[in-house]
Amino acid sequence: MDPTSTLLTGAGYWNPLAWLLGLLVAFIIAWLIYSMGEKGYKPGTAQAEPFISGNKEPEMKGEVHVRAGNLYWGYLEALRGYYDRLVPLHSGNLHDYILWYLGITALFLFLVVIFP
Amino acid sequence: MTPAGIAVLLGWGIFLSLFALAGGLFLLGIDRKLAAHMQARIGPPIRQPFIDIVKLLQKENVVPENAISGIFNLAPVIALASSILILFYLPVGSILPILGMYGDLVLVMYLLTVPALAMVAGGFASGSPYATVGAQREMVTMIAYEFPLAIVVIGVAWRIGAAGLSSPFALATIAATPIWTVVGPLGLIGAFILLLVLAVVTPAELSRIPFDTQEAETELAGGLLVEYSGRNLAMFYLAQGVKTLILAAVIVAIFFPWNLSGFLAMPPWLALPADLLFFLAKAIVVLFFAVTLVRVGMARFRITQVVSIYWRSLSVIGLFGLILLMADAALPALVGVGS
Repeated sequence: MDPTSTLLTGAGYWNPLAWLLGLLVAFIIAWLIYSMGEKGYKPGTAQAEPFISGNKEPEMKGEVHVRAGNLYWGYLEALRGYYDRLVPLHSGNLHDYILWYLGITALFLFLVVIFP
Repeated sequence: MTPAGIAVLLGWGIFLSLFALAGGLFLLGIDRKLAAHMQARIGPPIRQPFIDIVKLLQKENVVPENAISGIFNLAPVIALASSILILFYLPVGSILPILGMYGDLVLVMYLLTVPALAMVAGGFASGSPYATVGAQREMVTMIAYEFPLAIVVIGVAWRIGAAGLSSPFALATIAATPIWTVVGPLGLIGAFILLLVLAVVTPAELSRIPFDTQEAETELAGGLLVEYSGRNLAMFYLAQGVKTLILAAVIVAIFFPWNLSGFLAMPPWLALPADLLFFLAKAIVVLFFAVTLVRVGMARFRITQVVSIYWRSLSVIGLFGLILLMADAALPALVGVGS
């Protein structure tokens, strides 16, 4: 396959190489502006301490660390009604999963027969 | 492509980049001025964002102790570069998309996530609990508004494709054939609904009130950006301006693609600047209704409400608009069969 060719999806298209070259031009412009800025600061002083609303950072940094398990909290909380039903179905038992698989496949076959 | 062709593309790329930077800051200035007037304040001068950038570039670039400095410093540059890049795929005034042959509206939809992901990476790399919560909220907000945005993109392109035009996802096609000119009465209502959906997605894309939970100054002290200062913050500020221009350009390209030179006869040397100014005027009007008016009149939603609004209300409204567009395309054929 020609590495410079444009990828066609049937309806849409994109060319990764053109994207990469465009990104390079934009990156150089962004970097030029960035390099005009002040580089320095005072490491090891109060200005480099993390901002926790004026509170001192605890010795154990993990105490104020927000764990990755909270990543989708807002999403899960908003769709709680859906997940409250969905999560208990994940019993961890392979038999349950195969039953669901067969049931859903049967349902789809039924629909295909009804609406050919 | 010949070397001369590459040089022309490069020249347009540099021109568009500078236009994006200056135009974006100008739009931020207009937004601040209009918001101030609506709150009975005089507000800062329109050139204030330019002054802010110059000042930020002179300030110290503090990297906090807990930060992963490589990602922390690279994320703002990536955010700005990826924002500028999107403009290469969009029509601006009478300038056709310079990379329009190499990417379509679906690609633009995906590229819109890159600056946000750079901000997320910068937030996580800050090593601050506020920034981490902000980055998590940015992720959730992105997931929330992607579906309504996809409905708009697919709805418009599908209807243009149903009208018999080839390459319906190409922005040059969409800009050359405004959706309003190919639809009937039902389609007009459907297209207007999709325009409203895209207008509601815009503040979330730009992290503006009422969808700014990821920054939320009063709650998270700036969230994602809490540890950023100096030139790093300047890059994010510039990226915000460029993204503002891009979102306006997307709405203009899909729904209001007309140019001044299409209505008034004018020499080519005048057509380009006149169309660029007309584009900026359209961008100001679009952003006034989609961003400024909304952020002045509303308070911030909670993150759970943001997800509910996009996944439930706006998705249902968007799908209704899409169904109207489909009905609009199918109706003439059905009537034809009936007669």
